Amino acid sequence: MNPCPESPPQAVSRSRAWGAGLLLALTVGAASAAEQKLPIFDAHIHYSHDAWESTPPKAAIAILRKAGLKRAMVSSSSDDGTQKLYAEAPDLVVPSLRPYRKRGEISSWVRDETVIGHVEERLKKYRYAAIGEFHVYGADADLPVMRRMTQLAKQYKLWLHLHGDSDAIERVIRQDPEARILWAHSGFDRPEAVRAMLRKHPRLYADLAFRNDHASGGKADPAWREAFLEFPDRFLVGTDTFTPERWYYIVEHADWSRGWLADLPRDVAEKIGWRNGETLFASMMTGRQ
Amino acid sequence: MTCHAFCMTFRFDSSRISHLACVFLLACTWGAQAGEADFSAEEIARIASHGPWPMPSMRDPGNRVSGNPAAIRLGYRLFHDPGLAANRKISCATCHQPERGFQDGLATARGLQHGIRNTPGLWNVGQQRWFGWDGGHDNLWSASLRPILDPAEMGGDAKRTASLLRGQSELDCLYRHAFGKAPDAGDDALLANVAKAIAAWQETLVSPATRFDALREALLRGDGAAVANHAPALRRGLRLFLGRGQCATCHAGPLFSNGEFGDIGVPFFVKPEGVDPGRQGGIKRVLANPYNLLGRHNDDATRNNATATRHLRPEHRNFGEFKVPSLRNLKYTAPYMHNGSLATLRDVVHHYSQIDEDRLHSDGERILKPLHLTESEIDDLVSFLEALSPETPMVIPGPPARIDSCRGFARRSQGKADAHAASVTSHVSRNDR
Repeated sequence: MNPCPESPPQAVSRSRAWGAGLLLALTVGAASAAEQKLPIFDAHIHYSHDAWESTPPKAAIAILRKAGLKRAMVSSSSDDGTQKLYAEAPDLVVPSLRPYRKRGEISSWVRDETVIGHVEERLKKYRYAAIGEFHVYGADADLPVMRRMTQLAKQYKLWLHLHGDSDAIERVIRQDPEARILWAHSGFDRPEAVRAMLRKHPRLYADLAFRNDHASGGKADPAWREAFLEFPDRFLVGTDTFTPERWYYIVEHADWSRGWLADLPRDVAEKIGWRNGETLFASMMTGRQ
Repeated sequence: MTCHAFCMTFRFDSSRISHLACVFLLACTWGAQAGEADFSAEEIARIASHGPWPMPSMRDPGNRVSGNPAAIRLGYRLFHDPGLAANRKISCATCHQPERGFQDGLATARGLQHGIRNTPGLWNVGQQRWFGWDGGHDNLWSASLRPILDPAEMGGDAKRTASLLRGQSELDCLYRHAFGKAPDAGDDALLANVAKAIAAWQETLVSPATRFDALREALLRGDGAAVANHAPALRRGLRLFLGRGQCATCHAGPLFSNGEFGDIGVPFFVKPEGVDPGRQGGIKRVLANPYNLLGRHNDDATRNNATATRHLRPEHRNFGEFKVPSLRNLKYTAPYMHNGSLATLRDVVHHYSQIDEDRLHSDGERILKPLHLTESEIDDLVSFLEALSPETPMVIPGPPARIDSCRGFARRSQGKADAHAASVTSHVSRNDR
């Protein structure tokens, strides 16, 4: 009647089996959690000469993979940095042609007409998804160098990754109403102003690099949340590695992005986190020679 | 608006602004006397904001022994005592050497191991808001405890600390006086108390007035002769500092620091691989620290002193930001920057003159732009910066007064402490200079 004499070995056996099952479940669960970790398309990476000196291409790619990036759109001063990374991991890197030949041209490039020849040469030689990121504000967007960038983007069917104010955006769109623009940092503008621009210009998209106002403590800011829900197809995230040290912030930035994106509906989070980047930029590279 | 009208407008505001208005009125008067060739009324008003010096002393509401004579003497003794360290050879004073402005003259600190940051000086440390290059502490006692416990610096612990206190009768007596109980390794307040005593002593470290302070006073009282006695290079440097350099935007107030953090384009890689995240890491550290102002060791029952800590959130821009240091006493605290990478004040001015704009993010208005200073302008700015330090030699503060009821113990244990101090100095001389 007493099951005890039989039970200990059986119990041990069951216990072991249960423990093994639990371990398996935990392992599978952990793997599943890792698999479920939201991929990230980082739309704002630079790999300039001081970055490749301190963090060589293999190490840089290892950082991008550690961050769980689906892909990264990379532009560099000079463009050689982008090409080094692209050669190392064409599956991971989406090249964008920054018009700066070296650091220090942020303020001067738009008045330096030798930039045009440089950009034309690179476009003939390499494949890109965009021209940028470049800095241009207000009336400078109508200067000949910027006008030529707009023409080249149209000619090569490329995006413009523009860091500037809404006035510069308007001027570029007047030059080419079909221009496709990724607005770096969403212009550091208020969410209401960004929404107004997105409503007005259907080919304008916006990255959220180097801003914090859209999320805090894993929660999306209410005003920005409205923007994301109104335009889930028009936003992307990005780190902005404007100094070589910031390569060591990419992993943390990706995790921070996952944190606040989890506060949005899953489909919206996936679009902003990576699907928009895949659709808009990565797809351009697969079909090009 | 005329100068006079501007002053009158100010007079109708609050009492504090009325005070400023008076300063401005004086400034207007002096500006008129000095003529256009010298400081403008606006410049004098801005110069006035860098004083008076010394600032009024304030007790730390989070430290119940702030200002307590027994705690101050205990803190002084512990600061110089190598018994807190795991190897019994180094003390706080090993890196914070009084004769060097409580700095060590090294690029980066050397405790039990080599550190990655420049040792900050301690003069006027009690007036600061955040502590450490990354602001990893929101109060002075917490900041004082970290190096004692850090295995890379002193490697101490509660047991060693209690043993030290109990082993020296004056320290034991001072501790009982300050905290009303015996030092006990099992008391989880022991370490916080020891740190509060060290902080109480550091709060007494107020540097003397400088040539700049004398110039400021002369300007405010309209003493043209006294102003003229100050070197033209100093005055030209001051004008650059306030004007084209925009230095005072961050190096504000009597301390010449706004107490916050900035990215000034200094690389922050740490060899062999990795980076010093600066303020971004500091915010995480302060929030995780059990000795922060949000914790139970804060003696301010109102928690009003914890407001800033409560609202801290790391932001992307904080990555690579470091504390805006006070510019007082710089003459004695070379080398400079968070990693000691610039050897002289001239190097510092050169850095700003040729600053790499590409290392600075163009988010919002840019404060930092290459100044492209001439060599003589650099000389002028250096002259001004040197005028923010007292004349040599810097006075080394002596031991605080003994406490009467611990006086019987003091002579014996002071002798031991002196021997320890001599041993520390000898150790530093051999190994670290």
